[in-house]
Formats: sequence, structure tokens, C-alpha cells
Amino acid sequence: MSSEPNADRESLQRNDTVVRTERLYGWAIAASALLTILVTVGIVLALLGEALTFWSAVSPLSFFTGTKWSPIIDGEYGLLPLVSGTLIVTVGSALIALPTGLAAALYLSEYASERTRSVLKPALEILAGVPTVIYGYMALVYITPLFQGILPVSIRLIPPGLEPLPAFTLVIPSLQTFNVLSASIVVGIMIIPMVSSISEDALRSVPDELRAAAYGLGSTKYDVSTKVVVPAATSGIVASFVLALSRAIGETMAVTMAMGMSPQLPYFPNVFRNLAESSQTMTGAMVQIASADSLGGVTYEAMFALGLTLFLITLSMNVAAELVRRRFREVYQ
Amino acid sequence: MAVDGDTDRTLSVDSRGRLWGLHATLFEAGLFGATLFGIVSLCILFGYIAFDAFQPLTASIRWYLLIAGTLILPTAAGTLYARRQPAVRAANAKAFGVVGGALVAALCTYIVVDALSPYDVALVLLFGGYLPAVFTLLVRRTNRTTQLGPTAILSVGGGLAIAHGGYDLLRPIVGTAAQWIAYFAIVTLPVAFGLWIVGRRRWTRQTARRAVLAVIVSVLLLVVLALGLGIDPSFWVVLLSVGAIPVAVVIGEIVVLDPAGRLGAAGPFVLIGCLSVFLAVERQLGLEGPDGYLTTTLLLESWHGLDASSAGVYPQIVGSIVIVGVMGVLAFPVGIGAALYLEEYAQRSGWRGRVATLLEVNISNLAGVPSVVYGLLGLALFRNALGFPTGIVLSAAGTLGLLILPIVVVSAQEALRSVPDSLREAAVGMGASRWQTLRTVVLPEALPGMLTGTILALARAIGETAPLVIIAVATTKYSPPDGILSSATVLPLQIFAARSNVDPAFRHGIVPAAAVVLLVLLLLMNTTAIVVRNRFDRRSQQ
Amino acid sequence: MSNQESTQTVHETAETSERPESIQTPRAPAIEAHDLSVTYGSETALESVDIQIPDRQITAIIGPSGCGKSTFLRCINRMNDRIDAAAVSGALSFKGRNIYDEHVDPVALRRRIGMVFQHPNPFPKSIYDNVAYGLRIQGITSEIDARVKLALERAALYEEVSDSLEKSALDLSGGQQQRLCIARAIAVDPDVLLMDEPASALDPIATAKIEDLIAELSEEYTVVIVTHNMQQAARISDRTAVFLTGGELVEYDDTETIFENPEHDRVEDYITGKFG
Repeated sequence: MSSEPNADRESLQRNDTVVRTERLYGWAIAASALLTILVTVGIVLALLGEALTFWSAVSPLSFFTGTKWSPIIDGEYGLLPLVSGTLIVTVGSALIALPTGLAAALYLSEYASERTRSVLKPALEILAGVPTVIYGYMALVYITPLFQGILPVSIRLIPPGLEPLPAFTLVIPSLQTFNVLSASIVVGIMIIPMVSSISEDALRSVPDELRAAAYGLGSTKYDVSTKVVVPAATSGIVASFVLALSRAIGETMAVTMAMGMSPQLPYFPNVFRNLAESSQTMTGAMVQIASADSLGGVTYEAMFALGLTLFLITLSMNVAAELVRRRFREVYQ
Repeated sequence: MAVDGDTDRTLSVDSRGRLWGLHATLFEAGLFGATLFGIVSLCILFGYIAFDAFQPLTASIRWYLLIAGTLILPTAAGTLYARRQPAVRAANAKAFGVVGGALVAALCTYIVVDALSPYDVALVLLFGGYLPAVFTLLVRRTNRTTQLGPTAILSVGGGLAIAHGGYDLLRPIVGTAAQWIAYFAIVTLPVAFGLWIVGRRRWTRQTARRAVLAVIVSVLLLVVLALGLGIDPSFWVVLLSVGAIPVAVVIGEIVVLDPAGRLGAAGPFVLIGCLSVFLAVERQLGLEGPDGYLTTTLLLESWHGLDASSAGVYPQIVGSIVIVGVMGVLAFPVGIGAALYLEEYAQRSGWRGRVATLLEVNISNLAGVPSVVYGLLGLALFRNALGFPTGIVLSAAGTLGLLILPIVVVSAQEALRSVPDSLREAAVGMGASRWQTLRTVVLPEALPGMLTGTILALARAIGETAPLVIIAVATTKYSPPDGILSSATVLPLQIFAARSNVDPAFRHGIVPAAAVVLLVLLLLMNTTAIVVRNRFDRRSQQ
Repeated sequence: MSNQESTQTVHETAETSERPESIQTPRAPAIEAHDLSVTYGSETALESVDIQIPDRQITAIIGPSGCGKSTFLRCINRMNDRIDAAAVSGALSFKGRNIYDEHVDPVALRRRIGMVFQHPNPFPKSIYDNVAYGLRIQGITSEIDARVKLALERAALYEEVSDSLEKSALDLSGGQQQRLCIARAIAVDPDVLLMDEPASALDPIATAKIEDLIAELSEEYTVVIVTHNMQQAARISDRTAVFLTGGELVEYDDTETIFENPEHDRVEDYITGKFG
């Protein structure tokens, strides 16, 4: 540390050089903070630049409403199959993660002892820490063969001979090598901690007075948990759901590896076919274009258009979740 | 409202009440099951991977009995004993921590320096570190009024500029020295210096001086020994400096200062002894372990697309470590700076307050952006705007660094917030300026938390693949990167690339083994973060 | 001449002028406030305070909680600057200089005014490093050992810690930590020592030690002490200022006068415990 011989005790001032140097440090620190804004600006510019070029070559209408995505072979840039793929994976993973995550959050918050909680909570966090490539690999190489052994399955729900009810057999088709089911399963497992951690925070923030009041009225733990605590924490729980879904929409490697690259429109009425066959998400399409590696051209620009769409979707979901969360924080503070 | 006669009925538990009790128990069981669902599924999947990577069924039962006898039983016995003696357990944990950490650090250092060329690293260290340090000290001695900070930064910058500009001239000069001299300068000198700084504070000055001398002498003796035996001392210099010396210091401290925990310090050495016994008996009895794929070939060789037995991921491991390292160097200062601004400098009222709020909102939004979009940013920034060649270390580290920046900022903010305001008040009341308060009181307190957060962010980044695919990092390379501007590849990319290889030796062999390597790296980083955090908790309680 | 020597010379001079009361020359006030007001947004914390705090005496500031005692104390070393919403108007001078003048650096000001807080807040460093802190940040590198020892002696702590100066300050008891904070504050030889309820978080024995210490300290430093403990103020202070709710300085006089024969009814009510 340098000494300050010029500092005059009587003048109530410090050495000029020192003051100026410290101001410099302040500016350097402010510059770092500014850099974080530049990142966002960078993202927006990068995406907009190429996306707008793309949309001058391919009309946005045909992009957003087109039903065929085959950029490299046919030059078709219809978004709907990709949206369908993303949606099906997201819904599938939501079916797994949302109930499980909420149940886990409820257990950890209301039922678990401190010791159990101190073990289970970090264990759940591990689920989010596993690299997504490994999830994708496990889906492709272990989960798919496992299910392929079980399916196809046909269940006779309504046997023939029960007039006037039509005979109805539920047929779950066999699984292809690349299928949406395995992708949904691993993405579901991956996002459980997001739901459980944020929901648990929300459940724990519910003031104990509410619980005490309910117990005082003679409720069981089940009543208190399901009829008092969960409803009180609804906004936090909803926020966790939205954030988890946003994460699932943005997931790339696991879905690419498990689902393959065949964009499809959804199948109707055989809903299960959607899970059993290959598809492609928006993120998967981006990876596919990048792997083809042609710097420039409409296909390359399409990647940025997809990125912009994805960015806007996840941004609005995250902002919505944050607003919901802020509302719940205000209620109790 | 119950009438007297009803009281008996309503207070007793009737059959409907019992059913309700069952309902509640089932509910709790269901919740518990849901909590376990993800964990159990992951364990099962990990089991598959481990099974494929290690092939446990290919080893004989006798081999497993040997493991149980020489490794598992002593470990279990030791753990049971240590459970009753907290001092032993603490010392044991410390000893294992330092042995494990030092070994890992030594290996990583050697791997990275070897890949980057020890002469280049020595050159950078000399001109960017040692010479500026000497220069700054000299300036400080002669002219007491200069500020150390700017002098140091400027001299480092100047030194690096000289090294860069005069590279063609200086490199051959540096290259004439024997390789072990380069390693000596890279690892032994910093370790000795660190030992002096730490020793000055914890022990007496005399002891510290003697310790430093002992370090230098022992390393030189090792070199002489190695040269005498005709082997290249480089690796052993690193192992001794980074590996053995910290272990000696920590274990020595335990043995001398902590009589109750002395036994615990023996823990890792007992384990090594058991391991040696195991290996000796294994060879003696001719027992063969499992024919798994996690072999030295995997760890030390480069990829082979067709022949699984000669495929390795060494370049990918080095690439991952180097990229993560560069990422840390890039993201840590910027992240800390942004957090410092938000927590210590920014005002909370007026228009400046609104800017601060905007910054915070922006950062929390950035944290939720999908990683592919960061890949697009990296593409636009590094390939289009800056024109860097495809898939070099700097682009990859920069892209991933931007990805983890929000995480680093948020965890640094939390670390700063955890410093009690009373400490800041005390410093300010003493007449410390804002920068002095930060430097002398706040940052030392918050630093462990910041480091933990950064290491955890880096651990997340080591598994990130999507952005790297977008910026077109090569999926397979046959040699490790040799500089910041050289192209590299990372472990998860190799796993991604090999996914469609249907040869069972790959699909159920090499690739799961590579996944295990990646998970081990991840585990090491997370353990380091936890250790840093725990030591911080202990220090602030002292 | 080193700092230490010059300080001793000054204090010798002061002592010779203090002894014979009849030829006591009026000393310039250390701190003078004129129409000092502080508002936090719409809340008034201090209302037009006029006060002259004498040099090298103990001035106590008492009043019910929330009456602005701490706010006033923190104006003296401009600690209120740290609160964005605080607005200060009026004049406050230290040794004749207006401290809110734009040429005054609050950092330099605080190096001449020491502060001890209600809850002991030693740094998580060694005892030695705590006391040496103020010296080091001012860039003083010579004779730190001697000054640390002197400060610890003056704070009546040296005997208890002399053989463990390297130990962490957090290992000390509450009372010892507070004495360490006092040693830390006086190590830089401040002109004024501000104390914000320094003994309120301590047990009675530690409190008594601190009170004895404060009485001794007033021989070297001007002490301004905020306390909610009226008996404490009556015991140790020379002058007492009574603030009442709303940040109003109601009465300021010799301690004896305030406690035995106050001028204002409200002050008498407060002192006899009718409220507060």
C-alpha cells in the first residue's frame, strides 16, 4: 500500500492521485456492469440482423404458417412442424415433471424432516447438473431399447359385443429408434429440480400462521397441505411451471439425440404415434443447420430466424414467470 | 356443535377415520415416491452407463473378494472408527482433501502446460508475471507515492506486449533451456512463493524461510536424481511441486499442531497402502479385473472411429480443461466487476437506481436464455464480426463465458450481500474510501463465495454442447490444443458425434466410458466448489 | 517529528492549561451545528439543531428512541452520506470548518473522527490487524507496532491480549471486542470520538469497564456519546444534550443542571421517567 505524504490532515482532503485512481477503478467496475447489457444488445442485434435478411427472402407468413420444414433438400421453411415437435416434447416432459416436481416440493416442504431434506434436496439438484448430452445418450441407447421391448401394446378398452358401444382398442405403436417419448422422459427428469426447487421456496414462504390456523380448526396434514398451503403458494408454483416449460422449450442436445431429425406435423387421431415416431424441435433444426456448416445463404439465415423466435418465446415466458413471482412475493411482504 | 352424547362418537377414531388415516399415509408415501422418482430413474440410467463402461461381469468373483478384503473392509473399519472421533474425522477429511486436490491439480497442470508447450507458458509467465512483479516492487521501493494497482496492471500489460512482439526473438532463447527448467519456473517458483506468503502468516518468519528453502532444494534434488536415472524430470517436478508439497505442508501441520487428529492424517496413506497391497496380490494371484472401457488408452490416446480398443479422448479432456480455464479467466473478472457495481457502487434511488434495476432485470433474463441462442451470439460475434477461424479455444471459451456470465454475477452478488453491513460501516467509519473498504474488508470476506459460484458455473459449462455445435467447433480432433488460437474440441461434443456409431464396442463401451470421464470431471469440479464453500464457513466461524 | 511525539506534545500543553480552573481559557468548540436538519424523504429526523460541543469533554446525547440522536451523531462524520434518501441542510463545522463544504472529502474527515458502534464490529482479522487497520489505510507504515500497543493500552485491553495479538478478533468476548473497536478507533489519534450506545449490547460488568474507559479517554479526545441509559449519561458526561421526538434538541447544558434542575418540563418528564 502506498503512503500518502501529500495528505494534509488539516485540509480534510486526500491525495489527488489516490482519489483519481480510485475513481478509475470505479469506472472499470461500472464498465463490467455495462458489459452485461452489451451481451443482451449483442444477442438482439445478432439475431435480428440475419433473421431480417432471412425474412426478406422468405416471407414471414410462409415461415410462420408453412407446414413443411425441409431447408436443405427442398428449400421449404415452414415453422409449424418444428413448433409441433417442440410442443409435443414440452407437453410430454411437463406431464412428467410438473406433478412430480410439485409433489417433491410438497414433500420436502411439509413432510420431510430436516435430515431427509438435507439429503434429498441436493440429490434433486443433481438431476439438473447432469450434462444434457449424457441425458440424450441415455435416452437413445438405454431408454428407447427398453421401451421397444415393451411396445407395441394394444389394450382392449371396450370389447366387441357390447352394442351399441363401438369396439375400441387402445393401440400404442412400437417405438422407432428416434422417438419423442424417450426425449420427453429425459427432459422431464431434467427439469424436475426447477419445478421442485422454486415451488418448495414458494411453499416454505407461506406463513406458518396459516398452517396453525388450519390445524387449530382440526384439519389433517393432508388437508393443510393440499387445501391451505398449496393454494396459498399458487403464484410461486405457477411461476416454477412456466420457468420449467421455458427450459424444456430451449433444450437442445437431449432432444436432438433422442428424437432425430424428421420434422412432422402432429398425427391425429392416433395421438400415441406422435410419441413413438421421430420429430424435430426448433432447437434441433438449428443444430442441424449448424452441422451442415455453410456460412451464408438462406438456410444459414433461417437458423437465426429460428433463434429469434425461440428467444422471444422463452423471454416472454421468463418475464411472465417473474411477474407472477413478484406478485406472490408482494403478498407476503 | 356436538351435544354431550355425541362427544364420544366424534372424538374416537372410527372406521371412517381409520380409512382417512390410510388415505393420508398413502398420500405421504406418494409424495415421497414422487420425490424419489427422478433420483431413482437417474440412478438406474447411471447404472446402465456404469455397467457398459466398466463391464463388471467380466471379472471373477475372486477378484471382487480381493477388492472387498483389501479395500472395502479397511475403509469401512476406518470410517466407523472415525465416526466416534470428530477430531480424527476432521483431520482425515482435510488429509484426503489435500491429497486428492493436490494430485488432481498436479495432473491438470501438467496436462495443460504440456499441451500448450511449457516454453510458451514459461515465456508468458516470465514477462507477464515475474518481471512485472519485480518491476512493481522496485518502483515501490524507490518512489513511495505511486499507486500499486495501476503500476502493476500497466507493467503486466507492457510485459505481455513485449512477449508478444518479441516472440520470434525470445522464444528460441527460452527454448534453449532444458524442459524441466521451464516447469520449474512455472510451478515450483509460484508454489514456493505461495508457501512463503502462507507461512509468514501462520508460522514464524524463520520457519517459512526454511520451508521455502526446503521446497527448492528438494525439487532440485529430485531433478538430479531423475537425470541420473536417465528419465525426464518434467512430470516429476510438477508432481512434487503441485502434488507433494501442499500435501507435506498440510499433513505436517496436522501432525505437529493437532495431536488429537494425528491418526486421521494417515487416512489417505493407508488407502494408498491398501491399494498397493491389492495390486500386488492381484498380480501375484493372476486375477484379472473387469474388462471395462475406462482404460489408460481412453484417457491418453486420441480418437479412433473404427477400432474401439485404440480410441481415446485425451485431446477432448485437455480441450475441455483448457476451454473451461480460459472461460474462467474471461468471465470471473467481468462477473465480479458487474456484481461489485450492482451491490457496492450503484445507487438505489433516482435515475441511477433505475439503471441498476434495469441491469439486474437484464441479468436475470440472460440467465434464462437457451444456450443455443448464446451459440448464435458467439457465431455472430466471433466468426462474423471478429473473423476468428472456426472452432478455436478463444471463440468457444468466449461463447461459453458469456453463457455463464449471468450465473457468475448473481452468485457474486449473493456473496457480497452475505458480508454483514456492520463490517462496511466499521471500515467507512475508520476513514476507508469505498475502494479501500472493498479491497480490505468486503472482497476478502466475499471471495470464497464468489469462487464457489464461479466454479459451479464452470462445472455447468463443461457439459454444455449446443453453443459449441452452433459455432462449429470440431467434433473430433486428434491432438490437444496448443494455444488460445488453436482449434480444440471438448468431451461432450465427442459423445454427441459418436451417438450414431452402432458398433457395440462404441455404443455400449467407449462412449459410456467417455460419459463417465465427463461425469468424473464434473464431480471433481463440484467437490472443489463445496470444499471452498466449507472452508469459508469454517474460517468465518473462527 | 513522528506523529506520536507531536500528539504527546499537544496533550502536554492541554493538560497544563486544564489544571487551574481560574485561568481556564475558553477552548474553541470541537463541533458546532447551526440550524442542522435532516430529512429522510418526507420524514424529519433532525429539526433545526443548534449546538456547540466543547473540545476534550464528554458530551452525552440522550432522548427516547427515534428522536434523532444517532442521526445527529452520524452527521458529524458524514456517515449519513451512505443513505441515499437522507437530505441534510444547515451547517455543521468541525474545528471551524464546514464539513458539508464541497471541498471536504468525507473519507479524509472520517480519518480525523473515530466512531464506535452499538454492536461491536471487529474485522474478521487478527487483533493486531484490526487496530492497525486505520493506520494502514492512511498509508502509515512506520511504528505500527508501537502505536497498536499504545492504542490497546489506552483502551484497557493490552494486558488481556498482549500475548495473542495474532489471534482472530472474533475469538474475544463481547466486552473485549468493543474495547478492541475503541482501540481501533483511537489508534489513528482522532480529534473526536463518536460513540453510538457503545455499551448497550454488553453485560453490566463489561459496561462498567467501558464507562471507566470513556472517562479516561476524555483526557485525550473529545467524546460525543449517544446513550439511552440516563444513569450512564449522568455518571460520565460533562455536558448533556436532550433530544426529544421529532429530532428536536430541547435542552443542552452541563450534566448536573440537566439532571437536577432542567429548564424544560418535557425534559424533566423524560428524566423522571414519565415517558421514553
